Amino acid sequence: MSNRLCYVCEGGDCTEKGSGDIHDKLKDLVAQFDPDEEKIKIRRYPCFGACEQGINVTLFPDKIFYSEVTEADLPAIAAHIKGDGEPVTKLTGKCEPDVEQIIWDMLDSPY
Amino acid sequence: MSTVDLEAKIPNNVGLRDNKRLMRALEKWQPQFIDWWKELGPSDFNGHDIYLRTAVGVGKGGWAHFDYVKMPDYRWGIFLADAPEDRKIHFGDSMGEPVWNEVPGEFRNRLRRLIVTQGDTEPASVEQQRMLGHTAPSLHDLRSLCQVNVEEGRHLWAMVYLLHTHFGGDGREEAEAMLERHSGDDDNPRILEAFNYPIDNWVDFFCFTTFTDRDGKYQLASLAESSFDPLARTTQFMLTEEAYHMQTGENGIGRIARRSAEIMKEGRDPAAEGAIPLPMLQRYINHWASASMDLFGGEDSTNAAESFAGGLKGRYRESDGIYKDPKALQQFYKLEVPNDDGQVVEKEVPLRRAMNAVLLDAYVADCTRIVARWNRDLKAHECDFQFKLPNRKFNRHQGVYAGFRFNPQGEIIDEATWTHEHKNWLPSQADRDYVKSCMKACYEPGKFANYIAPPTKGPNDTPIDFEYVKFH
Repeated sequence: MSNRLCYVCEGGDCTEKGSGDIHDKLKDLVAQFDPDEEKIKIRRYPCFGACEQGINVTLFPDKIFYSEVTEADLPAIAAHIKGDGEPVTKLTGKCEPDVEQIIWDMLDSPY
Repeated sequence: MSTVDLEAKIPNNVGLRDNKRLMRALEKWQPQFIDWWKELGPSDFNGHDIYLRTAVGVGKGGWAHFDYVKMPDYRWGIFLADAPEDRKIHFGDSMGEPVWNEVPGEFRNRLRRLIVTQGDTEPASVEQQRMLGHTAPSLHDLRSLCQVNVEEGRHLWAMVYLLHTHFGGDGREEAEAMLERHSGDDDNPRILEAFNYPIDNWVDFFCFTTFTDRDGKYQLASLAESSFDPLARTTQFMLTEEAYHMQTGENGIGRIARRSAEIMKEGRDPAAEGAIPLPMLQRYINHWASASMDLFGGEDSTNAAESFAGGLKGRYRESDGIYKDPKALQQFYKLEVPNDDGQVVEKEVPLRRAMNAVLLDAYVADCTRIVARWNRDLKAHECDFQFKLPNRKFNRHQGVYAGFRFNPQGEIIDEATWTHEHKNWLPSQADRDYVKSCMKACYEPGKFANYIAPPTKGPNDTPIDFEYVKFH
């Protein structure tokens, strides 16, 4: 099983914008080429704190923080995960750098 | 996927109908719970129709139903998250073995204590908040309070189910004792000290739901990793509901701060308008953040080490595989500890013994995010004031920092400095009297007390002027 992680925010704001569906659809897309989670694990995450820019999706250890993600963006995100495409830059850089850093600090735990 | 039985006297997805003995035991406990609710639950609002969310399932496609309900008629149910059948233990000494569906004898006492301690907080918070409805700043907030209270009641049901199902006569006695202990009772108080103080104003309530419920989130998240599968699945579903409680607090403090910033932007003083001055709000944040950090327990703890080694409690999001060593055998945690010379020195603690500190790290990162969010909103309202999360050493009564004095920045100080300065850091009696004077009930749909801004939206896409509570 991979140690690469994709988190889809399920905080209050993101959930109301439809992050549950985004999680399920991204998971279905990725399962088409990675059914046993060998490339990446797709998981929900309680809240990143970038609520105004939701729906937020992160990739680690890539340290890519996607914001304002819609269903239309999912094929490009899945292609990047598969290795067939570049990061979706139109979705990055939308939230404060300190907000991004908090989740990287947690995932970069020295333990 | 599990089958949800909503027609049963106790809604559940645990096949209660097939276990008559357990069903009878829980149905015997149910009226005791209702009596407790009526006596010590929210005061005077049990006869009103309140727009509440009720858990009705655990799968995709919606897990909750919204409708008007009188609180004593709320359908408190027992729900466990679905889990893969072949789940394996993913940390600790027994890593790789199948998870347990029954309690191993060697962990019986430790697991029971974990469940009872968690379970005891659920009714405790309902008791602490029972008078708050009388000063609700809006119908929206009154509904939120009732939502939080009924769901804490459901979380008690979740823990009682585990006790009845897996701990025999001892478990049944513990379940009864949950309703016999009372918050603040001199003779029979709640187990954890933070749950014995009344919460009689909304600043305390929003701080409690922001910081203390968030401790609950991290405790539940660590239990959600447990090798005892029924406990893991129960707490996974509790986390779904708990998210709303924390959001209530985070948004509540944010709305109070925003209202004060709006008043300041107009060149007026919040203290002259019945709103909460931001330095005063900071003192409440200092109090509740530090009190909640105490709930994580000692930073250097053999108990924590044994719970991890046994596979009873994992680290935050342990199953995501974010930690380098799932057995945590070879590493040390660098812990800052005060010594007798009044200095803070770094000490290496075997990682297993530092599991409470590791969990606290995740909590502090989460709280840092929240404070940053409040500060962004203040800036957006052209307010220069910025909140700060107190350092984890400040005002601690548990763990390695207990017995020493630190300022909110985490610098060690002497007793004289503490005596002189602590009124600037923690709520004073004058602060409490002032906050109490601001607590004016506002029950008109769409209206809010002057110290709090409206939320940006209502639950379940309702408009802000929705009649969340129908008085009769």
